[in-house]
Amino acid sequence: MTTTSRAGQRPARQLPRTKARNNRTDGAARAPWMLLAPFLVLFVLTFILPIFVAVLSSFTKVTRSGLFGETGVESEFAGFSNYAQALGDGSFIASIGRMLLFGIIQVPVMIALCTVLALMLESASAKWPSFFRAAYFLPYGVPGVIATILWSFLYVPGLSPLFDIAALVGLTPDFLGANSVLWSIANIVTWSYTGYNMLIIVAQLKAIPGELYEAAKVDGASTFRVALSIQLPLIKPALVLTTVFSIIGTLQLFAEAEVLKTVAPAIDSQYTPNLSAYTTAFAYNDYNVAAAQAVLIALAAFTLSFAFLKFTNRKSS
Amino acid sequence: MTSTVTPTSTAAAAPAGKSPAGPARSARKGRSSTIIVTGLLVVALYFLTPVYWVLVASTKSTEDLFSTNGFWFAPTFALWDNIAQVLSADDGIFIRWFLNSVLYAGVGALLATYFAAAGGYALAKYEFRGRNLVFGTILGGVLVPGTATALPLFLLFSQLGLANTYWSVLLPSLVSPFGLFLCRIYSQATVDTSLIEAARLDGASELRIFHTIGLRVLTPALVTVFLFQLVGIWNNYFLPLVMLSDTGLYPITLGLNTWLSQVDRLPEFYELTTGGVLLSIIPLSIAMVILQRFWRGGLTEGAVK
Amino acid sequence: MGLLSGCATPGTRSVNASPVIAQAAAGEKVTLTYWTWLKDAQKVADIWNAAHPGVQVETVWIPGGNRGGYQKLYSALAAGGGPDLGQVEMRSLPEFMLVNGLVDLARYGAQDYSHLYDKTLWGQVSFTGGVYGIPQDSGPMATFYQPSVLDQVGGTAPGTWDEWAALAGELRRKDIYLDCFPLSDASVFAAFASQAGASWFRAEDDGWVINMTDDATMKAARFFDQAINDDLVQTSFRPYSPGWFAAAAKGTIASVVTASWGDALIKGVSGGEGKWRVAPMPTWAGSGFGSSYQGGSTAAVLANSKHPREALEFAVWMTSSREGIDAEISNSGIGWSPSPGFIGTPRQGPSDFFGGQRYNEEIFVPATQQQNTDWTWWPVTQQSFEILSDGFRKKASGTTLVDSIASAEQQIMAVFRNKGLSIRKETA
Repeated sequence: MTTTSRAGQRPARQLPRTKARNNRTDGAARAPWMLLAPFLVLFVLTFILPIFVAVLSSFTKVTRSGLFGETGVESEFAGFSNYAQALGDGSFIASIGRMLLFGIIQVPVMIALCTVLALMLESASAKWPSFFRAAYFLPYGVPGVIATILWSFLYVPGLSPLFDIAALVGLTPDFLGANSVLWSIANIVTWSYTGYNMLIIVAQLKAIPGELYEAAKVDGASTFRVALSIQLPLIKPALVLTTVFSIIGTLQLFAEAEVLKTVAPAIDSQYTPNLSAYTTAFAYNDYNVAAAQAVLIALAAFTLSFAFLKFTNRKSS
Repeated sequence: MTSTVTPTSTAAAAPAGKSPAGPARSARKGRSSTIIVTGLLVVALYFLTPVYWVLVASTKSTEDLFSTNGFWFAPTFALWDNIAQVLSADDGIFIRWFLNSVLYAGVGALLATYFAAAGGYALAKYEFRGRNLVFGTILGGVLVPGTATALPLFLLFSQLGLANTYWSVLLPSLVSPFGLFLCRIYSQATVDTSLIEAARLDGASELRIFHTIGLRVLTPALVTVFLFQLVGIWNNYFLPLVMLSDTGLYPITLGLNTWLSQVDRLPEFYELTTGGVLLSIIPLSIAMVILQRFWRGGLTEGAVK
Repeated sequence: MGLLSGCATPGTRSVNASPVIAQAAAGEKVTLTYWTWLKDAQKVADIWNAAHPGVQVETVWIPGGNRGGYQKLYSALAAGGGPDLGQVEMRSLPEFMLVNGLVDLARYGAQDYSHLYDKTLWGQVSFTGGVYGIPQDSGPMATFYQPSVLDQVGGTAPGTWDEWAALAGELRRKDIYLDCFPLSDASVFAAFASQAGASWFRAEDDGWVINMTDDATMKAARFFDQAINDDLVQTSFRPYSPGWFAAAAKGTIASVVTASWGDALIKGVSGGEGKWRVAPMPTWAGSGFGSSYQGGSTAAVLANSKHPREALEFAVWMTSSREGIDAEISNSGIGWSPSPGFIGTPRQGPSDFFGGQRYNEEIFVPATQQQNTDWTWWPVTQQSFEILSDGFRKKASGTTLVDSIASAEQQIMAVFRNKGLSIRKETA
């Protein structure tokens, strides 16, 4: 930060014009780097270096001798063996498959829901839009852990009033069963993020020029028609953005599964890729395989998001 | 590699124009209005039910929690007892967790916003060598899940002696690649280059120009970035879980889950957990209700002004 | 960049090769930290603190074992810190040893205290000539049951597992389950297999020997396969979960075969006062043992402790003195006392909750004498149980327990080899 004051170049003011100009270009050349410096230093520390460390330790292996490694422990270069082990671990692969399934169903459902909600809220017939907007947005302020604690109370038989209501109509739901618990998690995620995504779309809707609506009105287009041929195409960028974030969010899924695990026997300790990496590192003490898993998760998120962006780009051009 | 991202998302800001009043208010009311309002109400019910449940649950004793209907109040009203318990448990650790969260989220979001603004402004308003490389790398950071870097970050911080300190949660919270990305878009769209030139002719330094002109014009975007980061840090669970082992450093998310994990052995922790959940969502809910207005323009306001 | 090259995998340096740390000098004030999941442990420590102004103990609550406590201990160890003492279950000691997380207390004179402890328990903390934890509690098993519920079919606490199955069948007609079988926690099954006479691991000089498919294990597996097929046991929740508490209070769960520490939890069943009794665990007629164990923990001194000698003294006081045992029972409701001569004052005499039954003396004291002493814990216990539980969860989709045990055995052997440990299958 000491360089900052030098960049002030105060004396420049007193100097002849030409010299000042030179100084200015000099300052202008250094300025962007100074402005970027704090961000870049932290970015390197918390993004680049950890990725470097992860890659490094994913190629390291620990070997032991004796019953507990008491007669010797050695670290050595492992080649791809940690990756082989991570990819050969049925539970880890299953967790990735589970998240893909989750993403394929939950992300479109949520995006569709928040789009419909946004269109409804912005339609002329909606009443009390600010109340609804606030109500829908409220869950976003509830941390995932706390949202899960909340819903878990509603999922547990004996504690949840939902079962009494379901019994009235002759249903016996099982929110925490092996086949249903994934969708119970999907519900929590949808509950948490729909309002947030909806606001992004609402913002985009508000940016649509009023003349377009006027023109549509003159043409006698119905509300539905307006939504389909004016609003939807124009909010596409917002949809792309929310979808990409939802995909990344899906791969990050951790807190929901970790918290629900205490009440849902069907959730194992490697239910999501992140839970798997966490368990491998801190319950199985296999930091090297965990590092390989972390690298694989990052690669998957990167590839999926990138593929989605490419796909939507090509479609629009 | 990532430059393709830019056009898409800048396009998000492209359809400019004055914010319209929405579709004409004079449109057909009546039946379609009833349908829409009913739909909105049903969805609102869905969003509010869990919150209502915890409101009811936190007024009950553990015994009533299991034996009375969850959607209605029990005869004995134990809310104040429960809240007193929450606040006094373990020498008031709940308040400490709350303050920790405020510290992590408040300081983290504030500095992260400032750093992102400076970086985004620099990338938008200066031509320099390596600009695209830097921007591309940072954009890559947007796409890397935060949880994937948390584990290696823990190993790294362990070596530095930073693990299990305030810094271990605070430092990673100071970086918001997405915030920088927004600030860059917004700077491109709103910061007038001629204003900068004029300031230069007046002899103002580059940093001074950023602080006086840049920051002021960027303010609406900064609010969005700040809120985005604030909620992100407040909600973060994985990073503190990995980094912290000292309960005194916990944010509220981690603390409440610690309580929840005790209910198995000690059912009285149900009262603490429900009461704690209620207390923790009240300030955030109020904040959300108020702040959603600022958020509105948020991500796309870049071109709207 | 030197930083990165120094970024060695955590847990690869052994504290037990470093010189012994001397006792603190007289007058130097020592503060020890103890991470434990016991309730109100500080109240126990305060009794010690009052008598030992020079060695003060601070306790920190952590979640129980693999519910998050160990993750915390491991990550603190990896970060080069952590408490002086940690509560570590017997079964997890070898796992902590594997990451060089524990101090060998034999180097600090722990053998001098061995006579204070139950021989079986002392055996479970001793490995390769060292002592890696001080026994803190154990979990002899028995049946906790509600006589009034069993009465509905004219039943009483079953003496054998066959009688147990018959009784469970009777109760199902009244829409009552006799007990749960936790598919998500294989350690309960391991306790049943151990009771039947199984001994899954053996340490030989040249490495580990595994045998999870012996007759005793297979017998227990077939039995519970059948019980689940016949819908005799509740598998959708496990004991002491919210669903269990609700069912136990309603009387749709009649009993639970569990460890002695279950008494404190059963007292949390709403309206349960006077409704519960204790009986010996059902036996595998003609073979195996009268009881088994579940849980059981130690106070272990962790690798980064600066005061291992003082930590050892505190651990011994807490777990073997009458004062310590009584304080741990009345404040923390700790499990079975590791001291053979003293079960703890609060546990002597009749219990009001259990209808005046002197169950500790009548049921649990004999149970501690009837356990499988050959059972040895191994260095990847948790991962092994996770593998087993993952297999058990597939029971819902038709895979038998018998099959999942056999495939788990293969996977566990692979885990040993991936850790660089030698293992072979028992021949003969």
